[in-house]
Amino acid sequence: MMNRLNNLATLQIDSSRKISFIFRGKRYYGLEGDTIATALYSNGIRIFARSLKYHRPRGLYSLDGECSNTCMEVDGIPNVRCENTLLKDAMEIKEQNVKGSLENDKMSVIDKMDWMMPAGFYYNTMHKPAKIWPIAMKQIRKVAGLGTLSPDFKMTGKYDEIFPTTDVCVIGGGPAGMSAALSAAGKGLRVILLESRPVLGGFFEYRLKEYKEGQSFHERARELAAQVEEAENIRVFTHASMIGAYNNNLITGFQIGRESDCFDERYIEIRAQSVIVATGCIERPLLFENNERPGIMQTGCALRMAHTYGLLPGKEAVFSIGHDLGLETAISLYDLGLKISCVADIRREGQDSELVAQLRERNIELLKGSVATMAHGAKQVNKVTIATVNGTASQDYNCDLLVASAGLTPVTSAITVVRGRLKYDDHTGYFLPDQMPEKMHATGRVLGLDNALAIESSGRLAGLQAAFDCKACSIAEIGEAENELEKLPGPTQGTKLVIAPVKGRKSFICFDEDTTIKNINQAIDKGFDVPELIKRFTSAGTGPGQGGIPGHNLPLYVAQYQKLPSISIRSTTVRPPIVPTLLSTYAGTNHAMFKRTPMDEMQREDGGVFRNIGVWQRARYFSNDFSCKAEIENVRSNVGILDGSTLGKFRISGPDAVKALERVFVSDMSKIKEGRVKYSAMCNDDGCVIDDGIIVKQGENDFYFTTSTGRAGSTIEWIRYHTRYDGWDFHMVNLTDSMGVINLSGPNARKVLEKIVDIDISNEAFGFSEYREFKIKDTISVRAMRLGFVGELSYELHVPSSYMKSVWLMLNEAGKEFNIRNFGVEAQNVLRMEKCHIILGQESEQRTNLLDVGLGFLWDRNKPKAKTVGAVALRQAESDQTRLKLVGFKMENSGRAPRDGSLIVDEKVRGYICTARDSFTLKEGVGMALVEGDLTKIGTRLEIYEDECGDDRIYGKVVQMPLYDPEGTRMKM
Amino acid sequence: MALTITCPICGKRNGYEFKFGGEERGPRPDEKDLTPEAWCDYVHMNNCVAGVQKEWWFHRDGCGSWFTIHRDTTTNFEVEKAEAEK
Repeated sequence: MMNRLNNLATLQIDSSRKISFIFRGKRYYGLEGDTIATALYSNGIRIFARSLKYHRPRGLYSLDGECSNTCMEVDGIPNVRCENTLLKDAMEIKEQNVKGSLENDKMSVIDKMDWMMPAGFYYNTMHKPAKIWPIAMKQIRKVAGLGTLSPDFKMTGKYDEIFPTTDVCVIGGGPAGMSAALSAAGKGLRVILLESRPVLGGFFEYRLKEYKEGQSFHERARELAAQVEEAENIRVFTHASMIGAYNNNLITGFQIGRESDCFDERYIEIRAQSVIVATGCIERPLLFENNERPGIMQTGCALRMAHTYGLLPGKEAVFSIGHDLGLETAISLYDLGLKISCVADIRREGQDSELVAQLRERNIELLKGSVATMAHGAKQVNKVTIATVNGTASQDYNCDLLVASAGLTPVTSAITVVRGRLKYDDHTGYFLPDQMPEKMHATGRVLGLDNALAIESSGRLAGLQAAFDCKACSIAEIGEAENELEKLPGPTQGTKLVIAPVKGRKSFICFDEDTTIKNINQAIDKGFDVPELIKRFTSAGTGPGQGGIPGHNLPLYVAQYQKLPSISIRSTTVRPPIVPTLLSTYAGTNHAMFKRTPMDEMQREDGGVFRNIGVWQRARYFSNDFSCKAEIENVRSNVGILDGSTLGKFRISGPDAVKALERVFVSDMSKIKEGRVKYSAMCNDDGCVIDDGIIVKQGENDFYFTTSTGRAGSTIEWIRYHTRYDGWDFHMVNLTDSMGVINLSGPNARKVLEKIVDIDISNEAFGFSEYREFKIKDTISVRAMRLGFVGELSYELHVPSSYMKSVWLMLNEAGKEFNIRNFGVEAQNVLRMEKCHIILGQESEQRTNLLDVGLGFLWDRNKPKAKTVGAVALRQAESDQTRLKLVGFKMENSGRAPRDGSLIVDEKVRGYICTARDSFTLKEGVGMALVEGDLTKIGTRLEIYEDECGDDRIYGKVVQMPLYDPEGTRMKM
Repeated sequence: MALTITCPICGKRNGYEFKFGGEERGPRPDEKDLTPEAWCDYVHMNNCVAGVQKEWWFHRDGCGSWFTIHRDTTTNFEVEKAEAEK
């Protein structure tokens, strides 16, 4: 492990806390605060990856994930950008896309064959003849690409999501962003601040240069950060990148969790009144031969390596830069012990005189108007050729580190996705925001500002502009802030040099996609004349770095090659996600949540086999015999108990309640008598039946009704929708969760219930299809109905959820002498099928109307004033002979029942099986089917086609419904 | 969801909370003398305006009311009533 610098105020590492990790099967150590890349660097690793196409060695170049240079496989996840992923204990790290090792990649020979592969060579060569392509594609895929995901890889980790609302959202936690947040918060507004690095401070954070008398930039950053963190109405998200922006100021992003957080990553969706973009600058890469050799890095990267991570990135360095930050970095690193052979500055003049003087004091050679033209060294840089900008004179310098940067460039992706317009600015050489959309503001270095005080002042101005959007600030205050900013220095002139004086065969404009300057020339020569097209043809800027490396250089170079005036320089479009994001982060938390009935726990103890049914988990079976023989026979001959709590339950009351019921139910509701149960159905406007349930009258204009489990969630919405123009006076309450339902069914049901109730429940006192309200033990209010869904004597008890367990236990205790037992949803399904009682969704589909399933008797045609939903369509469908109708059937020759969903066929499909089972009660295969009109006659033979049955058919015969107990004596006893 | 909707009871809220209820078409027609074509038009035929349309929304994860808003279908922005009725 390399020795770390210590005693630097800017360090983010804790040298007392070692973290161990595995790299290529060997154990290494890093420090807390390290990224994976810096930890590897401290262990002497210099080659981090091999490039996509040519397998060239790649090293640490930036520290913000602008390219794929440090993409590795971490804990099974490929393409992790190690340079901005924090090191965690026991991480397992592997290289990717290499044959052999990073140092000796057998595929690196491809680098010498680049002449065979001009831009777009796949498109041009691999299609003649067309059958080459599948073969070629397989070979190319073996060689090219990034990491691979193992097919049996399982994503682990905790993913979360939040949807905060705020007044002002500030993107970027540097000096401008923090100043903006503070000034907006000072106006009493709520502010959310997003910073993609783990700490606030931006480009102030890691600099020790003097900000003002007695205070360094770093100290100033800490001062601002402390103010931000103290402000009660600023919510800070660090290590949180913006990924997109949408209508109505919706900003999306994601945050990487710290060890102490309850998530590994979380999706953030922020709704703001006003948005401030303060994303600052990155560096514009310098284009020269072999400009991506390991050992070459950007100035910010070199400085942060030393100041943030305590790692002196080399022993002997050459600088080829075009900005004062480059000079500052050279001085800082020299003072920390780096030997500097020379500093080549693209600019002939305009350097900060104080920095120049400091270089002179240290005897560092400054070559004005010079630039690196070629890096030497097979796997790592060992020599650099420095030439004058016009290429007239050159000289070689030995080094193991080349700090290279053409200049700075604003991070404009955030501005593009919020739909701000960019314009090339001749003075700075930047793409600057030309027009920002309403309630969107840009501030700080993205405006080309350079002076520290001006950056902060522009931040304060943006904060006030956002406050103005939120009506919390006056025009006059904004005017004052604008005056203040105007007095401070504006943008300084930037360098225009795009490429060193070289041909560009090995000058990489895009690292991720291995695109060289020569490739760009080839594309332009083929007629692709605008950056947007060249990007697609050469794939420059389409890799994991999302245009971070070529974003600025590509349009500049294209304009230069075509000798276009600068006014016509256009940047390429950026689209979300602007930062690579895990799909699991988008997926967020586990959404597989289910409701449980009050009886859930007890039914599980009783051996219930649960299944997800809609939003619920329900007990489907009570044994491993999924034919449910014992459960069914017990209901038919004795008594069974079922938890029906998932049923939709509603109360509707008010002067117009009857009208509302008549609008949605097909029956006449004015005739409902107290003490009776009314069965009815709901249709949609096409007459298709969507729901059935019972309605009881509880009092004057006061009704209680049920819906099927699946419709419970949308019933109130449905009724309100279909009465939305009427202005009727009624109220609805959804009682689905507050009431439980117990279904007690079987010939012995009355004997059981009698033991726990005080009222007379004989057949004479409480007959079939009647409704009673009573109390058990003078305490528990019960609504009881006599229904016959399963075809036996049956009581449906609606009990407050909190009393469900008590009543359930009482019934079980009372039923002990009869051997009462649970039955589940599947047993109920078979029982009701034998009785030919339909379940909507099983005996019906989207197009099945009320008449098709034989429920036409429910429809009261004499209430056109009610404008019943579905009545118009039903009237039109009455004479339609082409519709599928519901029939009951038995299997021929005691054959087995077909599978649900099997087809009824002759030469063509004539219908399908809805539900069919081998009935224990009837001792034969029976079921219900939807068939075409001419097949509905009793005795018609049905030819049944099951999946994968080949030429074999089984046959059934249409029979009278219901199949079980046709007279209905059993449910009325 | 980028869309925001202003509920008359709960105010401006995230579009996730609402369910779309179709274009505004007026109350149900009288069933007397109603032709199948006219009925089909009322139930199924949409105008699909490229511009401002009046439409129904249900505040499903909120107060549970149905109401209309004016929305510009080309920008997905809600617009003020006065502007919509110009």
